[in-house]
Amino acid sequence: MEKKKITFKINGVEKTVEVAPNKTLLWLIREELKLKGTKKACERGDCGLCTVLLNGEPVKSCLVLAVEVDGSEIVTVEGLSRDGELTELQKAFIEHGALQCGFCTPAFLIVGHWLINRNPRPSKEEVVEALNGLLCRCTGYRPIIEAILSVSKAKK
Amino acid sequence: MLPKLEYSSPKTLEELFEVLEKYQEKAKILAGGTDLLVSLRDRVEKARHLVDIKKIKELDRLEYRKGEGLIIGATVTLRRILESQLIREKYPVLWEAVKTIGDVILKNRATLVGNICNASPAADSAPALLVLEANVRIVSKEGSREVPIDKFFTGVKKTILRSGEVVKEVVVPEPPSNSFGRYLKMMRVWSEDLAIVGVAGLGYREGRELRVRLAYSSVAPTPLRIREAEEAFTRDGTMEERIERAVQVASQRVSPISDVRGSAEYRLNLVKVLTRRLLKQMVEVV
Amino acid sequence: MKYVGKPIQRIDAYEKVTGFAEYAGDLELPGMLYAKLLLSPYAHARIRSIDISNALKIQGVVTIATGEDFPFRVGLYVNDRYILARKKVRWIGEPVAAVVAEDLETAEEAVELIRVEYDPLPPVLDVRDALKHDAPLVHEELGEYAHSPAFNPIPGTNIANRFVVKKGNIEDGFRKSDVIVENEFFMPQVSHVPMEPHVCIGQYLKDGSIKLWTSAQSPFAIRYILGYSLGIPLHKISVYVPYVGGGFGGKAGINFEPLVALLSKKAGYRPVKLELTREEQFMTAPVRQGFYGKIKTGVTRDGRIMAKKIFYAFDAGAYADYGVNIGRAAGYSCTGPYYVPNLEGESLTVYTNHPWGTAFRGFGHFEFLWAIERQMEIVAAEIGMDPVEFRLKNALLPGLTTATGEKLREDAGRVDQCIRAVAEKIGWGTPPVKISSSKVRAKGIAALWKAPAMPPNAASAAIIKLNEDGTILLSVGVTEIGQGTVTALAQIVAEELSVPVEKIKVVPFRHTDLTPYSWQTVASRNLFMEGRAVIRAARDAKEQILDIASQVLRTPKDDLVIEDEKVYVKGRPEWSIYLKDLAAGYVYPDGNTIGGPIIGRGYYVGSRLTYLDPETGQGYPALKWTFGAQAVEIELDEETGEVKILKIVSAFDVGKAVNPLLVEGQIIGGGVQSLSLGMWEEYRYDENGKMLNPNLTDYKIARAGDIPEEYEIVVIENPQKDGPYGARGVAELAMLSVPPAVANAIFHATGININNLPLTFENIWRALNKGE
Repeated sequence: MEKKKITFKINGVEKTVEVAPNKTLLWLIREELKLKGTKKACERGDCGLCTVLLNGEPVKSCLVLAVEVDGSEIVTVEGLSRDGELTELQKAFIEHGALQCGFCTPAFLIVGHWLINRNPRPSKEEVVEALNGLLCRCTGYRPIIEAILSVSKAKK
Repeated sequence: MLPKLEYSSPKTLEELFEVLEKYQEKAKILAGGTDLLVSLRDRVEKARHLVDIKKIKELDRLEYRKGEGLIIGATVTLRRILESQLIREKYPVLWEAVKTIGDVILKNRATLVGNICNASPAADSAPALLVLEANVRIVSKEGSREVPIDKFFTGVKKTILRSGEVVKEVVVPEPPSNSFGRYLKMMRVWSEDLAIVGVAGLGYREGRELRVRLAYSSVAPTPLRIREAEEAFTRDGTMEERIERAVQVASQRVSPISDVRGSAEYRLNLVKVLTRRLLKQMVEVV
Repeated sequence: MKYVGKPIQRIDAYEKVTGFAEYAGDLELPGMLYAKLLLSPYAHARIRSIDISNALKIQGVVTIATGEDFPFRVGLYVNDRYILARKKVRWIGEPVAAVVAEDLETAEEAVELIRVEYDPLPPVLDVRDALKHDAPLVHEELGEYAHSPAFNPIPGTNIANRFVVKKGNIEDGFRKSDVIVENEFFMPQVSHVPMEPHVCIGQYLKDGSIKLWTSAQSPFAIRYILGYSLGIPLHKISVYVPYVGGGFGGKAGINFEPLVALLSKKAGYRPVKLELTREEQFMTAPVRQGFYGKIKTGVTRDGRIMAKKIFYAFDAGAYADYGVNIGRAAGYSCTGPYYVPNLEGESLTVYTNHPWGTAFRGFGHFEFLWAIERQMEIVAAEIGMDPVEFRLKNALLPGLTTATGEKLREDAGRVDQCIRAVAEKIGWGTPPVKISSSKVRAKGIAALWKAPAMPPNAASAAIIKLNEDGTILLSVGVTEIGQGTVTALAQIVAEELSVPVEKIKVVPFRHTDLTPYSWQTVASRNLFMEGRAVIRAARDAKEQILDIASQVLRTPKDDLVIEDEKVYVKGRPEWSIYLKDLAAGYVYPDGNTIGGPIIGRGYYVGSRLTYLDPETGQGYPALKWTFGAQAVEIELDEETGEVKILKIVSAFDVGKAVNPLLVEGQIIGGGVQSLSLGMWEEYRYDENGKMLNPNLTDYKIARAGDIPEEYEIVVIENPQKDGPYGARGVAELAMLSVPPAVANAIFHATGININNLPLTFENIWRALNKGE
């Protein structure tokens, strides 16, 4: 199994690594780059907790090969806030109690940020639809939905 | 983890054909990967050379040509289809079916062509393409051929594709004028799921006569168009009688299995209920 | 109050929203190896031979262990589990061997090459079959197992524990009844589905000590059981628990920790990590037990329950080391929140060849309340009484006695207020509404109760340290599994010592070497028990502070006040000293120093709790009872069986909401989990006992699109005088009784009683079409 050299940007930093073709983007992020905020919880696209932004769009990183991201730009949860200053959505998650155990929180934040960037005023239905690809076992989802809607309202 | 793999990413169809020739059965096309990577991980998929087609520009087409119809290239994602206002208006049954596949995140990667090449009996796009009488354009080193979608599926996870052949695009012809299309899907939950049963319907007027086309997912080894039910609906009688006749014929022609998503009896009931609901809507709208 | 009762933000939130919160799976240690398990393909079989020779040949494989390598039994209440299967396998998914390799890929490759020969035995796959006298035995050696004295296993049967409770005179009770109703109820096994699957790292050191890093709820229980089973003194075992990605009971007790510790020893003392895949989480991690119940109720025409005969059988699966206590807890709470003067209850924990059961949020109450609250509805209909009125008429109120003869304390929570609250908010009393030819809307209600299921000596402790700058460190043993207890505890410290919450740090990990003892993080006991311990620790620290301040300010202690990080003389705020100036000893201008570092400590155990009488079940098992009620409005499609939940109303008597934001979070999260478990979740098996849906594609849990359109919460606060600021626990309670409320609504919509879970659309459709 020949390793391939790939170059990509992650959270604004350019990286070049050699990676075997059977390694996923999730593996690249967690095991090679040691960014542990992106979580592994099913490896078959069901839970969505490994979701990251690939060229600005959310993807489940367990279903993308690392070799596929050559030349791409990736953002993980560690790349959302700048210099320790939380984003409006991160603050809203805290205010609305949108996290408990926290294991799914990075993925919900990634999708939430993507949604609001793309559509500053999503309807509740659009928020729910965007979140349907992710699982949370603690919060019952409502506080997460409210947190995202509160930021979109604040943007009006 | 995934098994040991090789990977190539040709930039042209010619390069693609070379790779396919070299690796034969070992090769498997990788587009969105949302089904493929799961079946590799489960060791269900035996191929070990992945051919990523996303760099081949020619496969990226999503365009509508008046008269010819809609062309959906092999690497066109479900997301792009959903974002097309034209598809939403002109091919609502396809748009609705695509909307029910996976979730918003998966739709950024998953492709329509992948959905049909995977050939799951539950493929949601298939019934829609069946009632729209789409054609599949297949290319290989030897040339190309175009196959009607209802000849494309040959069994569970099986298609007519031969070694070295690739689906280049799906062509969806102009639907009959003033047609109405819908995809009804029954799931185990409200949010997102594979279909327990899916029914696509297309209704249109031929002269004054209301015609319908009906196709199903998850009721047989392949996605299934049931022309006998369509014909049963066309024959004489009150609307109610015609609907019931179509429902009866459809329920006789399906051969659902019992699995973890639903029993055969329940599926049979859903075929009846969903067909009836769909036809009633056709009658009201068209 | 300044801090208690306020919706203060979680103190662990910053780390969690930035992705820097540390979970066990994120840890990597120098020289770390990876383990992969080989799972049994048989539900019940003798292991004839295991051939590891081919697997050992793979480059990168360090060692392979089988059951014979580790002849130790472990367990929380009953020592019935080997580390890896020995001689026999008892469920499809039981670990039979473990490969340890330099990397996970190699371990996965090698595990495929292990060859095991089995002699299949007839499996027991139904809890009722397991009770038949000729049933195959899951544990032939049951009589040899060490167990806690609170339990009663019956050797020569599959009964891991038999709990009996008797009150009044049951014959007399039924004789005085006008109507007698008997029904059976059923519930399958389900999974906790923590978002973070089980993961742990173990290292055995050459000096015989053990280090563990694990995603676990109860580090001290792990330490104790490991020490007991392996004969290692406790000071040689260190258990470290970082943030836990959801537990819900599944990470309580002891799980894979002994395995990784022993694998490390066999692998030359290098650390070994075991991280379950989602499939393994379903197949080999413990589950919630299945349930079968039979209830016979005698009632007068005017709606008074006169007698109940109750039989519960829990499908414990292959092992019941923790599970025995679930049957016991269900047994002593078996009546639900109702007064039953004459009672005979029997609650069995039964071995089968299903996956092994463990604690699950609700601990037997989700299960039996399904039966009790369905039965209440059926009985009410039978005598023609409104089900809300029927429940209120029989509500267990202060002064009445529970099943175990405990007179409910005068400051107990009020189930009647909870029932009334949800009835009002759901708009109880209107008939079902047909909204189309196939759709109908209807409402349902169910009540609930629970006390922490724990031994009478379950203890909690707290240490408070004042830092030199007046900030505070709180150390407690409760693990942060998402429930947010530590935030509430910080609020209690803030209130007690009048220091802002931002200046209080709760040590964000648990380490048995550094953390004060806590029995387990389970049972909705920790706010109550750690809360009391924290109050005592704060008051202990306060005494020490005042001792020094009294000297410095030359004023008697009882004339001093602590407020806003200062100690001052009452009525003379200008005569004051900052906490920071005496936190590590007060220094006079000439250098003379008095006092020293302030360290407060406190502990708490329940008062006057008892073991229960083995013959009659009478005694005092409950630290506190929390009561509640749920109401739902549903929309049912009678042609497809689809049920949409339009609204849930939840009411709980929490005593005092120390943090309303966290209380609401528990209630909504618990309510949705309850709904999900009741409607969709189930272990599906084939005829050999193999799970058919070991993934999140086919084991459905609620997603954002599945939650009720509306959710209303009523928090009732009748304080319990010995609770911290009057508080009772609520986290588990939140997920009780939603399913019976849904089924009761279906009953009102259609007249059909559904007594088996889950309420999948298909199962509902089947029930509605049974007659056709």
